[in-house]
Amino acid sequence: MFSKIKTINFFLKGSKRYFALAIIFVFLQVIFDLVNPKIMGYTVDYIVGDTSQTPKFILSFLNSLGDRDYVISHIWIISIIVVLIGLLSALSRYFFRVSNSIGGESLAKNMRDNLFSHILHLPYKWNDVNKTGDIIQRCTSDVDTIRNFVQEQLVNLVRMVAMIALALLFMFRIHVVLTLVSCFFIAIVIGYSLSFHGKVGEKFAKVDAEEGRLSSTAQENLEGVRVVRAFGREIFELERFKARNEVYVGHWVEMMSILATFWTISDFIKNALTISILALGAYFTISGQISAGQYVSYIAYVLMIIQPIVELGRVISDMSKSGVSIDRLKYILDSEIEKDPLDAIDFPPFGDVEFKNVSFSYNESLVLDSVNMSIKKGQTVGILGGTGSGKSTSMLLLDGLYDVLDGSITINGVDIKTIKKSELRQHIGFVLQEPYLFSRSLRDNITIASEKTDNDSVENAVKVSSLTSTIEKFKDGYNTFVGERGVTLSGGQRQRTAIAQMLIREPDIMIFDDSLSAVDAKTDASIRKELKRIAKDKTVIIISHRITTLMSADNIYVFDGGKIAESGSHDDLVSQGGIYSKIFDLQRSVQEA
Amino acid sequence: MDNSEKIVKLPLFGLPKLWPFIKKYKAMYIRMVIAGIIYSVFDALYPLFNRYAINHFVGENTIDTLPVFVGIYLIITILQCAVNYINVMQCSKIELYMDRDLRNLAFAHLQEVSLSYFNRNNVGYIHARVMSDTGRIGELVAWRVMDVVWWGSYVIFAIVVMLIIDFKMAIYLLLLFPLAIIITLVFERRLLVLNRQVRELNSKITSDINEGITGVKSIKSLAIEDKIEREYKEDTYRMYKKSVSTARHSALFTSLMTLISTGSLAIVLWKGGSLTSQGLVQIGTFSIFMSYALGMLEPIQIVINNITRMIAVGVNIERYLELVNTQGEVFDSEEVITKYGDSFNPKYENFEELKGEVEFKDVTFKYPDGEEIVLSHFNLLVKKGSSVAIVGETGAGKSTLVNLVCRFFEPTEGQVLIDGKDIKQRSLKWLHSNIGYVLQNPYLFSGTIRDNLKYGKEDATDDEIMSAIMQVGAERILKKLKDGLDTELGEGGDYLSTGEKQIISIVRALLADPKILILDEATSSVDSLAENAVQKAISVVTEDRTSFIIAHRLSTIIDADVILVVSDGKIVDNGTHKELMKKKGEYYTLYMRQFEELETWNDTRTNK
Repeated sequence: MFSKIKTINFFLKGSKRYFALAIIFVFLQVIFDLVNPKIMGYTVDYIVGDTSQTPKFILSFLNSLGDRDYVISHIWIISIIVVLIGLLSALSRYFFRVSNSIGGESLAKNMRDNLFSHILHLPYKWNDVNKTGDIIQRCTSDVDTIRNFVQEQLVNLVRMVAMIALALLFMFRIHVVLTLVSCFFIAIVIGYSLSFHGKVGEKFAKVDAEEGRLSSTAQENLEGVRVVRAFGREIFELERFKARNEVYVGHWVEMMSILATFWTISDFIKNALTISILALGAYFTISGQISAGQYVSYIAYVLMIIQPIVELGRVISDMSKSGVSIDRLKYILDSEIEKDPLDAIDFPPFGDVEFKNVSFSYNESLVLDSVNMSIKKGQTVGILGGTGSGKSTSMLLLDGLYDVLDGSITINGVDIKTIKKSELRQHIGFVLQEPYLFSRSLRDNITIASEKTDNDSVENAVKVSSLTSTIEKFKDGYNTFVGERGVTLSGGQRQRTAIAQMLIREPDIMIFDDSLSAVDAKTDASIRKELKRIAKDKTVIIISHRITTLMSADNIYVFDGGKIAESGSHDDLVSQGGIYSKIFDLQRSVQEA
Repeated sequence: MDNSEKIVKLPLFGLPKLWPFIKKYKAMYIRMVIAGIIYSVFDALYPLFNRYAINHFVGENTIDTLPVFVGIYLIITILQCAVNYINVMQCSKIELYMDRDLRNLAFAHLQEVSLSYFNRNNVGYIHARVMSDTGRIGELVAWRVMDVVWWGSYVIFAIVVMLIIDFKMAIYLLLLFPLAIIITLVFERRLLVLNRQVRELNSKITSDINEGITGVKSIKSLAIEDKIEREYKEDTYRMYKKSVSTARHSALFTSLMTLISTGSLAIVLWKGGSLTSQGLVQIGTFSIFMSYALGMLEPIQIVINNITRMIAVGVNIERYLELVNTQGEVFDSEEVITKYGDSFNPKYENFEELKGEVEFKDVTFKYPDGEEIVLSHFNLLVKKGSSVAIVGETGAGKSTLVNLVCRFFEPTEGQVLIDGKDIKQRSLKWLHSNIGYVLQNPYLFSGTIRDNLKYGKEDATDDEIMSAIMQVGAERILKKLKDGLDTELGEGGDYLSTGEKQIISIVRALLADPKILILDEATSSVDSLAENAVQKAISVVTEDRTSFIIAHRLSTIIDADVILVVSDGKIVDNGTHKELMKKKGEYYTLYMRQFEELETWNDTRTNK
């Protein structure tokens, strides 16, 4: 509980004063609203001529205006007072709403910003264990839940409690027994509403789950439409959808009948309260215990607090749900962010890259097992290996996305652990197998991480990546919007864009993680030829399945089961007759067929 | 995508267009409306009890009729509660049943609509039509209409009651109403626009977050965390600004309405006060006008708010109807349906056996949404059991022929014949129940591996499944999985690699035992060794079957009976591997290109 409060308190930084203002204004509003029934009552009493229950100061105020006949014929004076109080109530309502929503919005912004910033700076491996959909939900609907909790529920609770308490106070002062009867009904309504909302929560969860099932049935059917059609399974699909639809609707009907029962019963209790007050009040008025005016204002008070009382149960039970959301946000904030050691250094003068007995595992089994690689400055190195052989993982380690389990990776003799992560990554260019483009223009994607953004640099990078003619074909050229993840581009275009994005940064080490797989052999070759030309003193590491892509490398490493199985030049490896030569034969066999 | 919330104004909120769906629930609808009106009548009558209590009991100082009074009040309360229950239940049922019907209809329609529809619209868009548009339409038909009936009739009855009780006072009270209506209309419109902008910003922020999480590898390796964060904060700031300004507007709106109801109260006090100064009898009347003064404005706001929301549903109705009315380009003719039945009621007894000869006869084709003619007077006879390979560069239009064989599209001119008969003369269901399809990105459904394999043949026994698995050499994959055939595949089948999924989908096709098989080959994402396994599986499954192979690697199709070469969407060459190599045309170039480099490299080496 305490840690939850701490978390909320952290997010509330900067918005607390707005909520404080909101609470002040809501108090004012409640007070002004509660004055009106009083005025109605006094007016009635004054007209009737029974002023025994009217406070002295009001009487002396009225007497100062003139005698009774005068006041009654000039009753508009009271109207003006009513309007004035109404104006004050409207004003406080306005300021309450505005300061409350400023508070709520800045709370929401604070949460969104802090969470996102934290997520961006979490270590890469955090994403292995956390699902995207779940995290997005935490950043969106959980944020809304908490904002709602403070802005709507908490503040509303204050308003309702203040309203009910003050009204009850006035009511007690009018008549104690009458108010005890009211309290009896109020207790019933709140108790009923609380127990109901507690129970109905589970049902809601069930309906939600059923909706999720129905929704994903539709989603899968649409995504797999070709499979459905080709296997002629339309009937099966429709029957399944209809069945789930029926179950879902059935749950809802059940849910609605529970809700309808609740509404009906609470309506009945409300009306029972009203009639009790009407009847008892009439009795007390006749027996002279209260005045006619008090009777009128008492009824007005009862009518005013009925709705808040019914809602109170809902608000309280909703509030209990928010606790879960706070924990869900706390989970993110409590995850440790990626931190450089205090004495981390800048990128050293560029030199050879050395993998020394590097081992690594994601969970239990070793993905890399004592890997040794020596990559000389300016060399082009090829890497071959099957799926899961550890070839990509070794590059993730070099880029500092994961930390080695054992052994070390050094650049110019400096362990990369001691280099600032951002420095390291700025000097390493990493083109991923499935490059991720951002939903903005092609040009913005190319320059996203680069200091250089001038046309010449962009065009040059584009030319080396064999993308020039493609861009010329686009109607909007460099300003083409690539869509979410770059969906509007083909796989090969995405890869080449990512290459351009890397080239413009001119990093010392360039890693191509199977990033020429979606371009044809010709383009592949021309990109590598251009690379050779412009990146003479750069270290290039190419991971590929294509022997033709690898064979011109200075040195080739063959990964198998997390170990380096073979290494050497193309000729060496072919003559060794190992995995490399087997794959080489496989790919070449076609030619001789 | 066209997911924007534009405003489509339909006559009578589009309800006439929805009549065919509502018709079924006419009786419920009538019950709902009647119950709603009765409820409101009771609601409008309650202040009369207050008046009676004050005028009679307090005014005349007697409680003679108190038991009767309480009795009548309780009876009315009980009646009203009962009516309310009926009302809510009818309304909920109409909403839910309408939702269900609309969803079922849309879903059924999507099982039949031409596949070109799926090329034009993305899955997210279609999904939203099926799931969320239907919900909003159901809500409109039930709750929105109900709220208008409910609160609208309350306002009307309350006004009637007031006019009957005291005409003059009622007129005074109603003085400010037009003002309230105008203010509500103005603010509703403004708030509608503002709320839409807030929602748009909100979805921008959601997609920012999505990008920040799914793109984490790129963001980290590019070291652009700070840049991304900065841009994100600009968006959240815009969201903050816009939300606060929306809140200001709505605060102003409520405050103005509070002011107006206070104004009405003042008028009642002023006029009523002077009118009633003569005696107690009128005090009850006076007090009920005061309660009307305070309680009438909210219903008016609710009615107007509901009307605004009803207008906003117009766009959902349009989009939904557009979905269910899309016929698509490909459908069975009346005669065909009479003989073979439709997709949901096929007459299997009339289905002829498919042997597997496919012929393209003078086929000319252009895509419905395209300009260019991609096939022109194309002729090809594919004998039963033979294989056709289609090669060409990425994006050259290799799928066209397959789309025609599957009748996902129909030729613009000419015919596609199967076993000598135009495929239009048989039903889609007949054709599809004889075709197997293995996709490049194999799509597996959630559920167990067994469920997925059975998708090809519903009544397949475990023995049949196992023998199919052995046939393509997939037992290795199965061994790897903890629960074997019962292994649950998550979203998109995460436990399996692409190559493994490919093999599973081949087993699925093999089980279905189709007469015609379409194979969209694996791309480069599968490494050479895995590719080899996939290749083996393919050769098993294509044996003795008419097959069309969309090839991405030339190494795999040398033995095909016919190779078609596609370039820029057109078939530019066809023949066997030997014939095409002899021709030295497009195929030769394509084929040699793979090895160009090998040779240049060999050359440079010899030169050294």
